[in-house]
Amino acid sequence: MEGHVSYPILAPVIKKYPATAGPLFQTYNDLSLAQRWESLEVIDLSNALRGGFRGRRPGTTESSVVVPCFLTESLSMSWISSVFQDLPDVKDFYLAICTEDSSVVYYRMSKGIVKPPM
Amino acid sequence: MDTDSKIKLNVSNGTAHVWSLEDIARLRREHQICGLLTGTLPHVAQQNVFLGLPLQLMPEEVVLLIEHGAAVLVDEQASHRIPTGSQLNSWQQQQKSKAQSSIPPLVDSTLNTPNLSEDQIQKRRLREEKRLAAAQRSTTPTEVSEDRLKATDSSNALQTAYNVDVPGASVEHPWYSPIVYESLESARAAGLWTFPNTQSEKARCAVFRDLWKQGYFMGIGIKFGGDWLVYPGDPLRYHSHFVATVHGGSKDHISPMEVVAHGRLGTATRKSHLLCKWHEQEDRVEYFSIEWAGFG
Repeated sequence: MEGHVSYPILAPVIKKYPATAGPLFQTYNDLSLAQRWESLEVIDLSNALRGGFRGRRPGTTESSVVVPCFLTESLSMSWISSVFQDLPDVKDFYLAICTEDSSVVYYRMSKGIVKPPM
Repeated sequence: MDTDSKIKLNVSNGTAHVWSLEDIARLRREHQICGLLTGTLPHVAQQNVFLGLPLQLMPEEVVLLIEHGAAVLVDEQASHRIPTGSQLNSWQQQQKSKAQSSIPPLVDSTLNTPNLSEDQIQKRRLREEKRLAAAQRSTTPTEVSEDRLKATDSSNALQTAYNVDVPGASVEHPWYSPIVYESLESARAAGLWTFPNTQSEKARCAVFRDLWKQGYFMGIGIKFGGDWLVYPGDPLRYHSHFVATVHGGSKDHISPMEVVAHGRLGTATRKSHLLCKWHEQEDRVEYFSIEWAGFG
């Protein structure tokens, strides 16, 4: 990982939260290279004990937040709540679930009761 | 509201049913509670698309109605007393007279054929006697009263089948005397209704109540792998927007695989998944909605 071109950008957060280095690395590469997100920057989510990303999904003007996790992690309502505590003005974020075969699947988590789009 | 005007929830073996059509309509119109019709239809028993009485309620619905003073619990087993001798007798008399009155009146057919010869009348009589004998031998239940037989003069057709009325509601029987409980505490003390018992059951009641207060109608969620389907209005008018699951306490753990399962199913069915958690100390419910991101 240290030799990879993405590493320097992720290094500070990986050093702080080594346990979630894997999903962080996987998600960053997927977002920047496969999903082609723009203006990606790394953010520190201290309550959720990991790093995350802010960036723009192609075709949108608003920036969105992506929080990586691994498929075998144990999440909880409290953990989701802690992510929103780390992001006071944010109404929703994308949870990036990373797997061992390097697939990443994204699900949107919204605060409150949010109707599905038409 | 006095007890008589409250909706009766008939509890049998821990399940609450509603047998009155007016109450079922009231539950839907006035109390935002739909329940589930579970009665099969006698003439089309092999289908479950169209169902009839009774209405079955979810335990959370029962708790909400009792807490709001809109309904009372009835101990069905204790409410059905053993009928007295005289009650049984009068019931049997009623059944008999119902049976007899349902047999159509006999037509005196000789009046319509005044020109029958003696020979023809004799033949007709023999024919009727044979038919009567055949009817009595057959397996279908028929009953002919003694008086009727005598009156026929053996020249009239005999209609021997009659309808049996089975009353739907127990309140029609004089030996039914309802034992009613107005509060959850009294029903729990009597051992009739003990829900909610565990912490997770209490959480379910709290989340249900919170969603109900916001005007949502809830339906059973089994078809979509959740606790409830959440409708923004009457289910006859709206599709549900959410499948809700209750988390927290010992059930606080959510695996990412669950997120995938709930999110994918919801998005494929034009719904969002609703994660709900009851914070007991503050008595508030926290919600998160999940849907597939649409990429990745």
